[in-house]
Amino acid sequence: MATTAPPAPASSTRIKGVQPLRAGQGNSFLWRKLHSLSGIIPIGAFLVEHIVSNFETWNGPLAYAKQVVFLNSLPLVRVLEWGLIFIPLAFHALYGVFIAFRGRSNVNVYPWAGNWMYISQRVTGLIAFAYIIQHVLRQRFLGVQLPEHPGAAFHKVQVELSNPWMLAIYVVAMIATTWHFAYGIWLFAAKWGITPGDKARKRFGYVCAGFGAALCLMGLISIYSVVYKYPNAPEDVLPEQPASISLPTPSPVPAGSTNPAQPGEVR
Amino acid sequence: MPSIIKVEIKRQASPDSPAVTEKFEVPYRPNMNITSLLGEIALNPTTITGQATTPITYDSNCLEEICGSCAMLINGKARMACSALVDKLRSGDEPITLAPLSKFPIVRDLSVDRSVLFENLKAVKAWVPIDGTYDLGSGPRQIPQIQEQRYPLSNCISCTICMEVCPQFNDSTNFVGAATIAQVKLFNMDPAGAVLKEERLRALAGDGGVQECGFAQNCVEACPKQLPLTEAISDVSRDVIFQGVKDFFTL
Repeated sequence: MATTAPPAPASSTRIKGVQPLRAGQGNSFLWRKLHSLSGIIPIGAFLVEHIVSNFETWNGPLAYAKQVVFLNSLPLVRVLEWGLIFIPLAFHALYGVFIAFRGRSNVNVYPWAGNWMYISQRVTGLIAFAYIIQHVLRQRFLGVQLPEHPGAAFHKVQVELSNPWMLAIYVVAMIATTWHFAYGIWLFAAKWGITPGDKARKRFGYVCAGFGAALCLMGLISIYSVVYKYPNAPEDVLPEQPASISLPTPSPVPAGSTNPAQPGEVR
Repeated sequence: MPSIIKVEIKRQASPDSPAVTEKFEVPYRPNMNITSLLGEIALNPTTITGQATTPITYDSNCLEEICGSCAMLINGKARMACSALVDKLRSGDEPITLAPLSKFPIVRDLSVDRSVLFENLKAVKAWVPIDGTYDLGSGPRQIPQIQEQRYPLSNCISCTICMEVCPQFNDSTNFVGAATIAQVKLFNMDPAGAVLKEERLRALAGDGGVQECGFAQNCVEACPKQLPLTEAISDVSRDVIFQGVKDFFTL
């Protein structure tokens, strides 16, 4: 049985305008799918972790400091930070900007819901990108180093949000980021063939909207906690212990005595 | 009912000449569509200022939304001229505006070169390979459930409206467009056409392939034949991913 047609004569005349599919050529499929996947794992997973961790601000500066201590106590924490947050985030952001500026939005001509969501995904992505650059710079790399001074976390954010402009930026960015993530999950399911049917897509849309709204609300509550619930938080709730109240150095042990911590062991 | 219909048409004498807008007034008749309106202009190609001009060039054939030739921008939106009824288009004294599809090279006036779709269909082998040197006999049986899924996809008339309205279909992404992806699903589901399934899926993973879809869903809103285009894109995307993973581990 003839399974393939004879090869078409190579057309020497290049078509003007949009070019035909370059069948099977290039790597854009892989990059595009990596972009899509990285938005869910690890970046989306990190966003959920970040918002849940920040929700500890509801319980006050000490609870928040303990959460920071916990996160910094994770094994290989710097590797996790770079491998699962900074590098994927940088890729997702830069490739996302590339995607955004290759689209030609026409929502002015075709003002349909999906078309609005298309442009919203690009706008919220750009907002999140701009916000995250300053957020990472100012909160992670500049000022008090939180990995070394976890107790200063609450105060550092509180000082940042004492500027009403910064507060507005945080609120806008919280809404934009959770919007981008929630619709991103929906897009992921649609574009990876998880929800092909119209009904499935609609139902999953409600799920994503609910999840995004919950995340956004938690984030906004955390902002509220930092700004209004615990005013004038101490600069560092877990200050380094001064040398004077540290444990006394053990005095020289007389030979032959037993160690109180290890009874029976004769030194 | 006013007896005159005002029309503004974006015209272009050749692919490289500048575009001009010409205004016409056409006598109203009940139940006119855009193709009959263009025919009315051809009877008396005179602009609103009384200047003699040429009849409007446009593609059309069946005049009943089956051939897919007469897609154009009607009041700014991509539609089929044959099924665009003048009575439904008019709002007050506003003129009806006609322009060629914006994303395809212009041949003349409202006629554009849509051969990119034909090239795309060839690139994904959107056919059932039954040509041979001898009689291949009857094809495999196709169960009704498969027929029912395939039938809506077979309604595609290659009008390119799904591509025109797509924000991702442009000369920077060179996206293949929804029509071709839907045809991949149609032919992959054909029991005889499925023999080329893997080749079609690999083709669609190329640059400009199914991954460029941004899921704005304009295609499915605008499609005059109401093809389930977003469902096809979703299904085909999954198949392309699976094919890619399979190829990664087996080729």
